[in-house]
Amino acid sequence: MRKIAALYSGVSHENRSWNEPKYNKYISDIIYIPEMSNNSLDGFDVVLVPSRLHVSLMNRIQPLLERFAANGGIVVMFWPQAEETAAPNQKWEFRPTNYWWWLDPNETIGYVLRRPDHELFQYIQLEDCVWHYHGIFHPPEGADVLITLGDEGAILYVDKVSSNGTWIVTALDPEYHYGSYFMPATERFLDGFFPWLAEGKV
Amino acid sequence: MGNQDILYLDSIAIAGPLGEMAEKFDYTYLDYYELPNADLSPYICMIITGSVDQEFMMKHKAIIRDFLDSGKVVVFGGHLFRSWLPGAGHFIPRTIHEHWDYHITPVNPDHPFFAGVELHELTYRKGVAGFYARGHHPMPQGAEALLQLPGGEPTMYIDRVSTQGTLLVSAGATLLSYGLPEMTTAVMKPRVLAWIREEYRRLQAQKEAV
Repeated sequence: MRKIAALYSGVSHENRSWNEPKYNKYISDIIYIPEMSNNSLDGFDVVLVPSRLHVSLMNRIQPLLERFAANGGIVVMFWPQAEETAAPNQKWEFRPTNYWWWLDPNETIGYVLRRPDHELFQYIQLEDCVWHYHGIFHPPEGADVLITLGDEGAILYVDKVSSNGTWIVTALDPEYHYGSYFMPATERFLDGFFPWLAEGKV
Repeated sequence: MGNQDILYLDSIAIAGPLGEMAEKFDYTYLDYYELPNADLSPYICMIITGSVDQEFMMKHKAIIRDFLDSGKVVVFGGHLFRSWLPGAGHFIPRTIHEHWDYHITPVNPDHPFFAGVELHELTYRKGVAGFYARGHHPMPQGAEALLQLPGGEPTMYIDRVSTQGTLLVSAGATLLSYGLPEMTTAVMKPRVLAWIREEYRRLQAQKEAV
């Protein structure tokens, strides 16, 4: 099983998501970012970066994440982030959020599963990724794009080209919504995402 | 816009376009990590959002306590899991079986905050339940419950007993940022702002008298 570090900025939704026993059993350590040192990520295989990080904290961890990926680590980054360059070589495109599309029976969110054969989808279904998004990525060339918004951009991609390691970057913010006690799909997403990260083929 | 004597404590964690923070520009904005360096004397009230770093707030809880004890007002909306806010217990989530579990009712329907407000709008937005609160904070004895869940748990209360100031504590959004403009709940914001000013005047007068 991979050794997972979950970064934490003292915010209530992170506290709930990382301490929920069914997810916490996959987390080796919860690391409080303001107290991180240069070697806090040593010995881990995966680092989880929560969405909506305070900009000063993101700036602080940026060099640590880059070094971690350069050494072969897996960085998982949930979005939105105020620091839009936080993941390498992508371009984030903000989209106004439609929180209500699902109340119209004729609407769909427009996600397309590009890699149904990817092992992540033995752990989650596309439906488990569906609540809303705050924007899309124009990912780096050569990245493995698993879910897109139509032909417009990526919702979830795996980047093994920008570093010696792996960047898993997604416009989804399941830890925010699960930790705030709403959006049931986010719980189904995390129920599958954690075991995949811990044991699956990444 | 007239509310610059109210401090809005939040972070720059998320860009403005999301709209989640649109309200803060009415007030004087302060990043919570700047709290220990800030001169709080010009402010009558501090609005604290649920997205603050509670480990940090715990380390600096004396600042909040001193602010209140100088006869001022603190408004909080969020989920507490560290004990930095005087009087308040930790957030207890509501176990949800059906939409009814989220229903919010006023403890006193005649309270001036709520007159003329369609209270189902506190619970439902576009027919979806659970917007106002999904749990509660146990309140200290002597505090005044304003809103409650079906089992009587207070999701919002006023606490004038824990400090020399006044706390308005919510387990959901604050009434200051609640509701879409077309909803009746939008009337609550000016009422709460007026209440903050009135409460501040009363506390300061009380202090003078001592």
